[in-house]
Amino acid sequence: MLRLKSPNLLAFVFLPLVLFGAACYSNESNSRWANAQRESTQGTNSTATTTAPTQTQTAPNRPPRSNKPLAGGEFNKFFPAANENGYTRVASQEKEGFAEYKLKKDGKDVAMLAVTDTVTNPEAAAKFRESSRQINGYPAIEQGSTATAVLIDNRFQVKVLSRSPSFTKEDRETWLQKFNFAGIAGL
Amino acid sequence: MSKPIYEIVDELPTSGMTVTLLKSLDFVVPGQWQNITGFDNTIRTVTGETDEQIIQQIGERAIHLYNDKTQGYQTALWIYDAVGKGSGALGAAALANKFGENFSFLSFLSNLTPKADTAQAIDLSVKLVAEIVAYCKINGIPGDSIGEFVSALADYSGESLMRMAALVSVDALLPLGPDFIGKVSSTIGGLTPDELQKNQTFNQINNEIPGGDTSGKLGFIGESFRSVSDWMGSFVSSRNLTQESVASNLKRYIDITDNKLDYVSAFLDMTTNYYEHTGVQTLARRLTERAVAEI
Repeated sequence: MLRLKSPNLLAFVFLPLVLFGAACYSNESNSRWANAQRESTQGTNSTATTTAPTQTQTAPNRPPRSNKPLAGGEFNKFFPAANENGYTRVASQEKEGFAEYKLKKDGKDVAMLAVTDTVTNPEAAAKFRESSRQINGYPAIEQGSTATAVLIDNRFQVKVLSRSPSFTKEDRETWLQKFNFAGIAGL
Repeated sequence: MSKPIYEIVDELPTSGMTVTLLKSLDFVVPGQWQNITGFDNTIRTVTGETDEQIIQQIGERAIHLYNDKTQGYQTALWIYDAVGKGSGALGAAALANKFGENFSFLSFLSNLTPKADTAQAIDLSVKLVAEIVAYCKINGIPGDSIGEFVSALADYSGESLMRMAALVSVDALLPLGPDFIGKVSSTIGGLTPDELQKNQTFNQINNEIPGGDTSGKLGFIGESFRSVSDWMGSFVSSRNLTQESVASNLKRYIDITDNKLDYVSAFLDMTTNYYEHTGVQTLARRLTERAVAEI
């Protein structure tokens, strides 16, 4: 029988086993996200050029849009004004192809209001193919348990997300209707 | 390649000196800070979403956004990390976190040197500038927009508000006393670009500070501090914050003596990194908020 006389030798035998076990555990817990990490770090490193957009539908009598996302600031004037019935809105983020406001009621966060240019993320527009209804003439969908979204002119996604149980699906639809969809379609 | 964002958020500690420090500051901003750790958990907490498929999509989009260097998220994280290290020794911070809450202040005392007021004043104002720059990188406001930042401060909450509470309590009030605004203003006002260049915290994030040359950066630092002074002043007075109240709350959690407050500050500087910890939490929250809106 093999006898290990030295504690150092024990460590020599067992340490690699422990490290191997830890590595396995780590890989398992990260595996959920490993593909996304690989995809977004290999080759080109820009969300702006992930997949070539194929959206060619535009409103009549307007030139085709650029394949580059619009500046987030372009969307600001089409958000609901929101200073009514105890509601206020606070600017949250304004990035390339994205603008977001926080909607507060009596000082508490109740929802997020967002407009996205889907040109960098065509899957976001593709999901509206499953839409079975419209809001103000544009395809609408429920997404998960907290979001309702509308797709404008096959390119711009307008989304309202609940941040409080008191802000219901009906509230989300009410607030979606307060956006200036026609203005967004004209971008 | 930089570390994946999900690993960074997964590795946020749930205990140790930094977490203990932040818990002890709950009295400053009651209920604002929960130690949200873990990438999946952050997505669930921020969005309230329970649908696993949606959570997967949010996480994947967040990873894509973070890895796109043009989006500014990686720079913001780097700033939080760099300024958090400041003049403290990272090795000591790692060591202290390992030992956890029982790490003794007194046993560490002989290794501590309190910072001179000038160094403390520069550290404080550079950390403030770091907050402005990181805020703009994350939220997308042009990099030197001090005015936008000051109005956003009014809406700071959660881990962002806790970071400011820690800044005011631990990096301002504790080492510099109740007149820290006056002290820092006169120190920065009398500083030369050469002196600024010798400060380690400044050098950590020098390249990210707007203003061009060192003289211009010094101007930006001074302007930033002036612009946030009113907010800091009313933050302290509206919460009745004093050196004593901060020290006595720290004592409930950390083994310190309150007759050596400048040493306490040096001790916390060496053994904690609240800036990076809450910075990662802010970044993860904003990334999640954008990702869930974009998918």
